Amino acid sequence: MKPPESDHQLFERLRAGREQAFVALYQKRQPALYRFALQMSGSASVAEDITQEVFLALLRDECGYDPSRGTLIAYLFGIARKLLLRQYERRRSDVPVDTGAEEPGFAEPVDASDLLADLTDRERIEALRRAVGSLPRRYREVVVLCDLEEVDYADAASVLGCPIGTVRSRLHRARLMLAEKLRDERHGGASVPAWKAARCAI
Amino acid sequence: MNCEEYWNDRTRPAADFDAHLEACPSCAARAAAVRPVVAGLRLLAAGMKDVSAPARVEARLVRAYRERYSRRVPPQSEVHRWWAAAAAVLLAAGALWTTARAPRPTLVATNAPLATAGGAEQEDSAFIPLPNAAGSPQDDDVDLVRVELPRSAVTALGIPASDYGDAETVEAEVLVGPDGMARAVRLLN
Repeated sequence: MKPPESDHQLFERLRAGREQAFVALYQKRQPALYRFALQMSGSASVAEDITQEVFLALLRDECGYDPSRGTLIAYLFGIARKLLLRQYERRRSDVPVDTGAEEPGFAEPVDASDLLADLTDRERIEALRRAVGSLPRRYREVVVLCDLEEVDYADAASVLGCPIGTVRSRLHRARLMLAEKLRDERHGGASVPAWKAARCAI
Repeated sequence: MNCEEYWNDRTRPAADFDAHLEACPSCAARAAAVRPVVAGLRLLAAGMKDVSAPARVEARLVRAYRERYSRRVPPQSEVHRWWAAAAAVLLAAGALWTTARAPRPTLVATNAPLATAGGAEQEDSAFIPLPNAAGSPQDDDVDLVRVELPRSAVTALGIPASDYGDAETVEAEVLVGPDGMARAVRLLN
């Protein structure tokens, strides 16, 4: 059986005028890009526009994808991120203010054993979705990329323009912030069996 | 392993991490805090795995792609002419092949309407009706297509190949009806 074509092979073929390759690459990669834009913007219409713009960028003569500088998926997420940043600048009041500074550490680790207690699975997911949506942008994007879309750290570092170590430390802080937010939510609500604990994949 | 390495260096063996957790209550507490969050994020991701862009995005992109990469489409008449030429060659070859196996037809130097089509009539080289043209309307709007026939096909028409010297191919004109069928062929010099 013929192995599936790599992103780079599809890119080469689509640039040679093969529509099938363009459609194949789109269908392979658009869901993650759309979800990333959706999680980051909170708007389906913005996510739709950004997904479209990302793939239109591949058609331009001056398409800046350079395989020697990173993977195609990192390039695509990078374009989506730039477009999202422009959106933030236009609609700054709609999103949490990002001061650009790293958040302070958490002196008191939260007791996670019953963070999401007394909530149904659906409520747990909704609580976590809200918590992710309320993270400052730089933490939200690393959680969405690495935890929700399973982009590897090297690609995430390429997308975010920072060292891999920064991705890791930011992700760790983001998870602690989420734990904190969920604890706060719980204190305003209920308590019960926690998430089934999974080994932390940092 | 120190705390910084525990959180930021994933290149070390798993046993080093376990050892650090046992020795460091602070990191152990942090790790315990994030475990349920990571598990929850996995559930959240699983719940969103079917979320994707609406189909209209793909339709718009495919349209944009076609505009970007479409090649110039030849005018309709040009397309028609090339198709007619290709069809004529095939049909003429087929007809000649059939003729070679059938009783040799009588060659007709004709002034029939077929011969005048396209204004290609020449007194010294008349069109030779092909067997499959029998019964075709005589006043059709036909196309005249120039082709090259192999020497063997010329022989099959009943014309001595020696008339054409050593040439491997002979230039000919084929009359093609609107139904795509070759009606007649005329050998050129």
